[in-house]
Amino acid sequence: MSALQAKQISRSYGGTRALSEVSIELLPGSIHALCGENGAGKSTLIKILSGVETPDSGEVTLNGQPIPLGRVHAVEQIGIVAVHQEPVVFPHLNTVDNLFVGREQSKVGGLWLNKKGMREQACQIMHSLGETFSLDIPVGQLSLAQRQMVSMGRALLQECRILILDEPTASLSARESKSLFATMDRLQQQGVGILYVSHRLEEVFQLAQQVTILRDGQCAGTQPTSSLSRSELIRMMVGRPVENPSRQQKKTKSKSDKPILKIRGMRRDPVFQDIHLEIHAGEILGLSGLVGAGRSEIARAIFGLDPVDEGEIWFEGRCLPEGFTIQDTMAMGMAMVPEDRQREGLVLPASVEDNLTLPSLIELSGWMGMHRKPRHEASRSLIEQMGIKTASRASSAQSLSGGNQQKIVLGKWVYRQPRLFILDEPTRGVDVGAKEEVHRMIEQLAAGGSAILLISSDMPEILRLSDRILTLCQGRIKGEIASHEATQEILLQWALPEERDALS
Amino acid sequence: MKDGFQGLRLGKWMLGLLKQRAAGLFCFTFLALGLVSLINPAFLAWGNLRDIAVQAAPVCIISCGLMLVLVLGEIDISVGSMMGVLAASMGAMVSATRWGLSPWIAVILTLILGTLMGALNGWLIAYLRVPSIMVTLGMLTALRGVTEVIMGGTWITDLPPGIRYLGTGSWMGLPICLWVCAGVIVLSTWLIHRTPLGRRIFAIGSQPRAAHLAGLPIQRVKFLVFAWTGFLTALATLVSVPQLSVVDSGIGVGMELLVVTCVVVGGTSVNGGTGHLSGVVFAVLLMTMISTLLIFMKLGENATYWSRAIQGLFILGAILLDHLVRSKKSS
Amino acid sequence: MKTKWFSWLSHPESLLSCLTLVMLGWIYKEDPTFLQWEVQKELSTHIWETALMALPMTLIILTGGIDLSIGSTMSLCAITAGMLHQHGVPLPMGCLAAALVGLAGGWFNGWFITRLKVHPLIITLATMAAFRGIAEGVSQARPLSGFPKSFTWLGQASWLGIPLAGWLFLGCLALCAWIMHGHRLGRYIHAIGYNEVATRYSGIRVNRILLGLYCLSGLSASIAAILFMARRNTAKADIGAGVELGVITAVVMGGVSIFGGRGSLFGVCLGLVLIHETREFVSWHWSRDELNLLALGSLLILSVVFQQLLGHKRSS
Repeated sequence: MSALQAKQISRSYGGTRALSEVSIELLPGSIHALCGENGAGKSTLIKILSGVETPDSGEVTLNGQPIPLGRVHAVEQIGIVAVHQEPVVFPHLNTVDNLFVGREQSKVGGLWLNKKGMREQACQIMHSLGETFSLDIPVGQLSLAQRQMVSMGRALLQECRILILDEPTASLSARESKSLFATMDRLQQQGVGILYVSHRLEEVFQLAQQVTILRDGQCAGTQPTSSLSRSELIRMMVGRPVENPSRQQKKTKSKSDKPILKIRGMRRDPVFQDIHLEIHAGEILGLSGLVGAGRSEIARAIFGLDPVDEGEIWFEGRCLPEGFTIQDTMAMGMAMVPEDRQREGLVLPASVEDNLTLPSLIELSGWMGMHRKPRHEASRSLIEQMGIKTASRASSAQSLSGGNQQKIVLGKWVYRQPRLFILDEPTRGVDVGAKEEVHRMIEQLAAGGSAILLISSDMPEILRLSDRILTLCQGRIKGEIASHEATQEILLQWALPEERDALS
Repeated sequence: MKDGFQGLRLGKWMLGLLKQRAAGLFCFTFLALGLVSLINPAFLAWGNLRDIAVQAAPVCIISCGLMLVLVLGEIDISVGSMMGVLAASMGAMVSATRWGLSPWIAVILTLILGTLMGALNGWLIAYLRVPSIMVTLGMLTALRGVTEVIMGGTWITDLPPGIRYLGTGSWMGLPICLWVCAGVIVLSTWLIHRTPLGRRIFAIGSQPRAAHLAGLPIQRVKFLVFAWTGFLTALATLVSVPQLSVVDSGIGVGMELLVVTCVVVGGTSVNGGTGHLSGVVFAVLLMTMISTLLIFMKLGENATYWSRAIQGLFILGAILLDHLVRSKKSS
Repeated sequence: MKTKWFSWLSHPESLLSCLTLVMLGWIYKEDPTFLQWEVQKELSTHIWETALMALPMTLIILTGGIDLSIGSTMSLCAITAGMLHQHGVPLPMGCLAAALVGLAGGWFNGWFITRLKVHPLIITLATMAAFRGIAEGVSQARPLSGFPKSFTWLGQASWLGIPLAGWLFLGCLALCAWIMHGHRLGRYIHAIGYNEVATRYSGIRVNRILLGLYCLSGLSASIAAILFMARRNTAKADIGAGVELGVITAVVMGGVSIFGGRGSLFGVCLGLVLIHETREFVSWHWSRDELNLLALGSLLILSVVFQQLLGHKRSS
């Protein structure tokens, strides 16, 4: 059979290096696990191996032959199939159609679909995955787990030589996972090489023969699973030189007794439950956890972008009314830097000035309308204050680097001097220099009396900046710890999902 | 969900059936027919029913094509003007005072011309990636102008009997247009359910990104669907215009709106991905019946002026229904 | 040096200005009498309605939407005023009612778009049929006329050579220009067109703005209907048929991106001049109205293709 080999793969996005000379080898008939924290580079590597992205440098070969990089369909044709966490399916079509789109079986040279044959095959495949739902329901009406199974079925139909599974059991029940493992076993015996990405470490130890650990875009090591213990694995995932956070001076900060933000029993099924937290003026509360744990959803709920099922939110002593909106929270003094800078945080084609002043135009306008002078003044001072490197105020935001773009998003809210600042991944995709500046700015804001809710997948960042850290796991708060007592291992332990028996 | 009442289960089943747009429309049509027949039994006369079917046939033919356009997530409002150009050119081709070609050649040329116009739309939309509303809005006007140019200010009144047979002739008791319409329906059913192309059209409309990842030839499919619509428009023109004794430049005006209404009312989502041919056929019957219904309901001659308003109401209703179904699904 | 050239060229307004000048020059060469002031004055009488409706249409297309129902709204408003007049209601009241009908129509569109999240194309296509249908039903397709002299005078009067309708347009143009450049609403409209999600997340009340714009469009259609009635002393259900094409073509030719965000009023004015002169010259020189339609349709398609080639991107 064949081996998949990736040699010295590197990929950068803007100024950030997502992958740095990563090499990995997948042997036929083996299960190879891929572990790493958020942002370690796992999804980038998978995207490159499956053809969604192209690497900046390095090569990928299947059995010695280079693969057609960057073309998903071509990569699938040669036998490398990926099943992603967010299944890409056709919601209006039923399961049979979903499995066979693009490779329909027909008689009479493409003129008459062999529906019976396709249906039988589909039935066979879905049964082998342990699924018994009706094949006629439009896939969009199936649950997330079932859609993943459909996606998996499509991969199986492909007769792949290499199968890449990205967090496949994240939304599966125990029964479904068991079927999946049985299928993987079967495939293994047929000589298929499987790359298994997962945060469920017990599965990694149970299924995989080898594990590759990625850390900060680099390969931290490849070891046989039999030679590692769970704690050793975690240490390899986080093993950076622990910097002594110079946060002693923060402890002497006087905390006002009334919190700026107090949340009791906030819930939105099934995303998050039982959320209680408090943030005081001048305090930075870090929120750590894996992707999908529900951190961004909590942030958006607090800011008023998404509704909540239940819960009380107090801001500066006042309880937020039911069905509050972003206009309410902004008026009260909240601000949020969203996770997806390009789609949610910036109006890219608009100028730097427009972006910086957009939320504050009402305050900047006179009674007749908008005066140019206040707007120019505000943007000029913000550009200076935030250190935004741009050719001019009127340059399009699109032309700026990732770090400067992030400064714009921060700046437009900083201008409003919010009492509560929610930051969701503020330094993602930002180069080292700008990162430092952003960190300094955050500390300055806290020193100025704002309360800050910091969501970050960057462990050193969250350890360095926060006063306290909450860790979220699958929608619940797993642990709370003061930052000077916290270590990366502890945080990751809390972030990782429990053993299977906790789930239905 | 457990309930021991047979009645409730039956009700739930019927509700499920009603959710199927085709069934709902069928019931509605049935009810409307019933109501009108009660008021005026002359409605059920064979001649009247046949006239309704003949009127509905060209609309149905074009709707079969336009349904696929909407399933793809695009739109085509130029079919009416295409019909105008095709009618004018067909008339000019066969008229003895103009070009005087043989009816057979005229038929073939008209079909080719229709396909070419659809292909032009398809090329601009699929390969040059111009939004379909803009292309077809421009075509709607430009082609109407072309119609006027071809007509040259006069009407065509001397259609030879060879061509007129297409419109007025019958075969085994049914008018030719009904046979052609039936043929198109059968062909479309085969296309949608029994060919890979049909599945791919629905796939592309359902989730373009997934279609792209699956390596589907999206551009080619879009191009073909628009060309097919052009072909069907030519077919519809050939079986409907010869029914008239005069070909004028106003033929086809408003046809695009009628067809889009029928397709949307027939259960095709404007967002793409879903559509039922049976629903579309019933919707066509219903919509073309409306003006006749109004006459037979003895509501007075002024009632027919409300036809377009009722059309508009139907499409608004379909939009609302679509929204209700969508929000129910997501909740 | 090369990049400087190209960046100048990439502004559609610059290209458009050149195109306008070239076209006017060619017209002058072909037939100098066409460009005389008297002739232009005569020909311009009916452009003002289109021009007036082009203003809210510009704003709507800038937000990434579209309004296909303006012609039908015109018809409905005209019939409203006409029928009320027939039943003895004084005409000023009738015109007020027409304005309200226009606002209601626009509000109807806007409600479907903002609350039910229906695509503007679909709902305005539906109201395009529904509004005209109601007008036809109510008026039974009969023309209404016989408006008082004081009213029809409005259609004939002019000041400094420009008809009242023209002054109305210029006033509205000034208002729109102030909104787009001097008022924060202009910034909001561009932002919504470029990226509606990010604009919402900046606290802007996007729904309110969109609703307002569609109401404005309906209102402009009602004013256009009144102007038409004053000019032609008639109200009929087929008024305004096809007017949306001219309006949209002018806006798109004027460099406003159909995907929203990019565009300017100056460009739209040039677009209006271009289509007006093209239309009139074709009729004047070749005396064949049908070539108008061909020219107009082709112009729309060519402008959009051109925009596509220049790389206008759909916002996510």
